[in-house]
Amino acid sequence: MRFHGNFIICRYLSRLRNQFNSNFEFPLPNFRHRAPFFLRSYSAEVPAQLSPELLNIMEQRLSAIEYRTSCLNNFLNQPEASPSEYARANKELRKLSGSVDLIKELRAKQKEIDGLKSLMAECSEDKDMLNMATEEMGQAVEEERKLQNLLLKSLLPKDDADERDCILEVRAGTGGEEASLFAMDIFRMYEKYALEKGWKFEVVDIAQSDHKGYKEASAAIAGDGVFRKLKFESGIHRVQRVPVTEKSGRIHTSAVSVAILPQADEVDVQLKNEDLRIDTYRSGGSGGQHANTTNSAVRVTHIPTGIMITIQDERSQHMNKAKALKVLCAKLYEMERLRLRSSRSKLRLEQIGSGDRSERIRTYNFPQGRVTDHRVGITYHSVDDVMQGENLDVFIDALLLQEEMDAMATFSSSQ
Amino acid sequence: MRLTLSSVYRPYSFPTLLKSSSFSTLCRPFCSSALSSSPTCVKPQVPLFLRQPIYSTKLCELKKWHDWAKGVAFSIGSTFVDSDNGPDSSLLCRELKWLMEDAVEDHSMIVKDDDSDERVKMRVGIEELYCLWKQRVQERRPFQYVVGCEHWRDLVLSVQEGVLIPRPETELLVDFVDDVVSENEDLKRGVWADLGTGSGALAIGIGGVLGSEGRVIATDLSPVAVAVAAYNVQRYCFQDKIELREGSWFEPLKDMEGKLAGLVSNPPYIPSKDISGLQAEVGRHEPRVALDGGTDGMDALLHLCDGAALMLKPAGFFAFETNGEQQCRALVDYMENYRNGSFCNLEIRSDFAGIQRFVIGFHQ
Repeated sequence: MRFHGNFIICRYLSRLRNQFNSNFEFPLPNFRHRAPFFLRSYSAEVPAQLSPELLNIMEQRLSAIEYRTSCLNNFLNQPEASPSEYARANKELRKLSGSVDLIKELRAKQKEIDGLKSLMAECSEDKDMLNMATEEMGQAVEEERKLQNLLLKSLLPKDDADERDCILEVRAGTGGEEASLFAMDIFRMYEKYALEKGWKFEVVDIAQSDHKGYKEASAAIAGDGVFRKLKFESGIHRVQRVPVTEKSGRIHTSAVSVAILPQADEVDVQLKNEDLRIDTYRSGGSGGQHANTTNSAVRVTHIPTGIMITIQDERSQHMNKAKALKVLCAKLYEMERLRLRSSRSKLRLEQIGSGDRSERIRTYNFPQGRVTDHRVGITYHSVDDVMQGENLDVFIDALLLQEEMDAMATFSSSQ
Repeated sequence: MRLTLSSVYRPYSFPTLLKSSSFSTLCRPFCSSALSSSPTCVKPQVPLFLRQPIYSTKLCELKKWHDWAKGVAFSIGSTFVDSDNGPDSSLLCRELKWLMEDAVEDHSMIVKDDDSDERVKMRVGIEELYCLWKQRVQERRPFQYVVGCEHWRDLVLSVQEGVLIPRPETELLVDFVDDVVSENEDLKRGVWADLGTGSGALAIGIGGVLGSEGRVIATDLSPVAVAVAAYNVQRYCFQDKIELREGSWFEPLKDMEGKLAGLVSNPPYIPSKDISGLQAEVGRHEPRVALDGGTDGMDALLHLCDGAALMLKPAGFFAFETNGEQQCRALVDYMENYRNGSFCNLEIRSDFAGIQRFVIGFHQ
């Protein structure tokens, strides 16, 4: 049943590829600063018609939601509901309310279409009237499709973490010093990307290498839909270039790994105080008033998992501790997510954003000036732009589209 | 100059309520005269990071200074660590980075690699920067005095010579108070006292965890400390919540007898004989009056215990920082044996370095 999703995604991705490849051959002057406008248009301006099968499945879901909503409303009107039952029902209603509003709109639109149909049948003689009705009919059908598309999206399974902020971790992998330098470049790329998106980018910790590169760096990124956009960045980013440290001009290949973790709080992960050990690196001696040190590094150990986080970037111990706990919560939350996911169906595991950190996802080739994303097979021909945090959306939008299509395929095959 | 000032005030640090104290008579006239004259004469310094960026320097000049300063830091190696547990090169380098952050208005400029003639705006002149770093390394002037502030919990507090730089260990006292008031609405809206407040760190930290009705009275006998604390209180807009009173320990609190909901203090607790061997940053630059706790370091702590029994209301909470380990046990011992019946639920708590550091408990 994946026909539909696959068909659409193949079409869009190949269109995307063609666009980029052709633009490389005959570059338009302004192209690099323009967003890939066509990407999400299938659901916005010109709604594509959903297949009859999909509409059929959706119709069943809509009826189920309508039925459930009326049940819940009846229940809420009964005085004997206990407070907890009441709260639960309310919560479910709230969750459904987005879809319910759309369904109401859709039903109204369908009623309008029916009305127009019978009008057209009645006045088949009156040409002016008929023209007017046909025109209105066209609009109404278009709006109906738009609503159907929106509804479909609202019914697709969502990643609960999508709206969360995230922790970015960049680690130099194989390639020694050059990998550290590239780790720094990648870290800065995300910083610039975040800046452009109006997100807050806050460095958590940086471990510098000997040549001013980063052995490891992490940041907390906060803003609108941060995790949704960045989650596909997890994986191995490979670089091919002549390192500044290389005398003979030979091209090296090295790699950095990127991890994107959704942020969570202590409640999300049910963090208990007794599970934590907190150490400071105060050198021997009596401490307290005896010592004046600006070393406020804190190490937090989560005893059940053995996860250890050390933060020393902040100027107060309290802030270092707060940051370490933030990272710890993100790690624990991610562990829980992976555990849940591996217990789900195989299909979802095969999807992109599987979070497999060992997967090579992208290659930055400087001599050829290109960046290739191996999952969607897109090559973008200005590596400098990408490193400046511009046009990372080329890949991200394609990956989001693919995710949506996969979800749609799952939706239709799960019936 | 300020150092001599604080050493003149040194006698005040001795408890005035102790039975054996002959200082109380000696003290009083000094205290009252200090009370009436001082608040007008001490003007707190503005921390470096809050000063106006009225200076400007070529980026290459700044880089030259930075390279020089880095060289100085590296030349230290582990010399200070070996002599008195002072900072090593890597710590000095981190301080250098922070000094840059505080001194340069737009410190993203610093990452630029090209040595251009571009100018950067600074909060201090470049010559002064050379001076400051020399003070830091050669004179071992504490970094916090150099930049005029200390990052403590989520606060940035102004500090200057004559005021103890708040220590990271002391951050935990606020957590203890937070834990207590989050379970006790009565204490949350009560009046708390921070005795020997110094920069006002504890008072402001506690002000942040109390309810909207809760208040803090912070006392210190040093006019410099009171002025700096007042400045910090104002920076965090706590003027209505935190009241500063100048005077020795409980002296300015006579109207609060039996009324305090809570009492915290980080009093001087280092035994007098240990003062001469202190790390240079501490021994040479921080006010002795805030460090020296008398022969066994317990003078102020014992005085605070006696006062707490008098000033706290029933079920009121107290938390004291100590020199650690043996001093904690001695204090608990004193409370149990000499102040029998005054306190309950006494507890010794450790700091994050694993040293038994604090004594906490409740008034009966």
